[in-house]
Amino acid sequence: MNSLDPRVNRLPQLKEVVLPKAPLDQFGTYEVFVQPKEGKPFQHEGIVHAPNLELAWVLAKEAFTRRFTCTSLYVVDTRDVYVSPLTEGDKNAYDLIPEITEQAGNKKNFEIYHLVKRGKQHVHVGTVQAVLPQEAMQLAGKQFNNGKIVYNVWAIATDTIRFTTDEEKELWLTLPKKKFRDASDYKGGDKLKAFLEKR
Amino acid sequence: MYGGGNTFEGIKTDSLAQEDPGMLAAFEARIERGEKIEPSDWMPQLYRKQLIRMIEQHAHSEIIGALPEGTWITRAPGFKRKMALMAKVQDEVGHAQLLYSAAETLGKSREQMIDDLINGKSKYSNIFNYPTFTWADCCFISWLVDAGAIVNQLANAKGSYGPYCRALDRICAEESFHLKYGHHCVIYLASGTAKQRQMFQEALNRWWPPMMHFFGPSDKISAHTEVLMRWKVKMGTNDEMRNQFLDMYVPKIWELGFTIPDPNLKKNESGKWEYTEPDWEEFKRVINGDGPCNKERLEVRRVAEARGQWVREALKTPKTSYVTPLA
Repeated sequence: MNSLDPRVNRLPQLKEVVLPKAPLDQFGTYEVFVQPKEGKPFQHEGIVHAPNLELAWVLAKEAFTRRFTCTSLYVVDTRDVYVSPLTEGDKNAYDLIPEITEQAGNKKNFEIYHLVKRGKQHVHVGTVQAVLPQEAMQLAGKQFNNGKIVYNVWAIATDTIRFTTDEEKELWLTLPKKKFRDASDYKGGDKLKAFLEKR
Repeated sequence: MYGGGNTFEGIKTDSLAQEDPGMLAAFEARIERGEKIEPSDWMPQLYRKQLIRMIEQHAHSEIIGALPEGTWITRAPGFKRKMALMAKVQDEVGHAQLLYSAAETLGKSREQMIDDLINGKSKYSNIFNYPTFTWADCCFISWLVDAGAIVNQLANAKGSYGPYCRALDRICAEESFHLKYGHHCVIYLASGTAKQRQMFQEALNRWWPPMMHFFGPSDKISAHTEVLMRWKVKMGTNDEMRNQFLDMYVPKIWELGFTIPDPNLKKNESGKWEYTEPDWEEFKRVINGDGPCNKERLEVRRVAEARGQWVREALKTPKTSYVTPLA
């Protein structure tokens, strides 16, 4: 190659043709939830691709909390999120969850998320105890459905979530010190004014 | 932020004939009301196809756009500029991640998108097929190419597809530093030595034609996009976006005492900018592969993919299925 960048010129010549990517070459997806401030609920931010839950947490930290201050985040495999139908207008998603009788078995915790405005993010509203996710949604309907229209409900078994530990929270303490990533660190006004006056 | 001047496929007049008229009417009514479309909502095939194409091009532009700037990190003047440029380039690659994810919700896998970038099937912003000769070229990108992209992306953030709008909101928030940083760099060159001023003027002369191409072909010759405007996939015509950019940034360039290499550039009485028609033949030639850096850009990506393959292979766990991300 004939590049202006010597490092590009030093790149190896590829012998073989690069074959089309195999399925899952980019790994599966994990859903990312961030708590912007202490006391605020976690909200859904997006996804990362990762080979496992632990690395998903690391990559989520880079992708979603690199620039804005936050207090915590957690990740969960996309396949572990149970999703209700998406509604519109004055239709409440809770009305579309099929009735289910109380199940026998060990109850576990489920985290419940609401979408209350289409186009916005899902926000954590609370925890319920149930055997099945569908049952968890039904219980949530009784506990958290307070008259406002909910367009979409998610339920996630708490034991499938990779949370941030208290120790790890220190990672975000340095964020406010990284001023060079803020627009406010690039005030050129005085320099520009002096330059214009001289001209 | 780098997206701009997306190329759209020509739309055939019968491409909506296959769609259910009732569903189509409800879909259009929802957009008309200003509501967002979410991944699990019904949408016409044409909407899905054009959105995938647009978001994917935008994602590729972030990845490829990081190359001409990234190459200057080690040579940026001083520690502070190095730190800032590194953070900026990291942001851009992060933006690509967000955009690929938004495109994935429409049903195209990330593997497929990366393949299409490497084999040349998908496009990216044409401007990154030009080389950054000096530090001033890098400053031009940070300030003015980013500014152009912000004009486009602020408009697109008001579009109709939920996941794309949310990604753009986040991207625009992170971008505010890029624009200020870029302007800061140029102010320092402008108020520096005669040599520094000359360096930026030369960069400006080199980059002006690709910058005018950036917003895409003139409305007179660009593909029929009325339906995309109605569906809020495209939020303004190419010429409208170009005019907005000129309106915001030409005065700032002139303020610094630089000249723009177009004798016909002026604002007319109706407030519209007049300029020499950009060379659209060159635009077509470069976008189709014959630009100064097309080969290099794709080769760098190809080598990176090939070199990283063993790492991805080693990290693979027996995850048995892939599901489309949620939102």
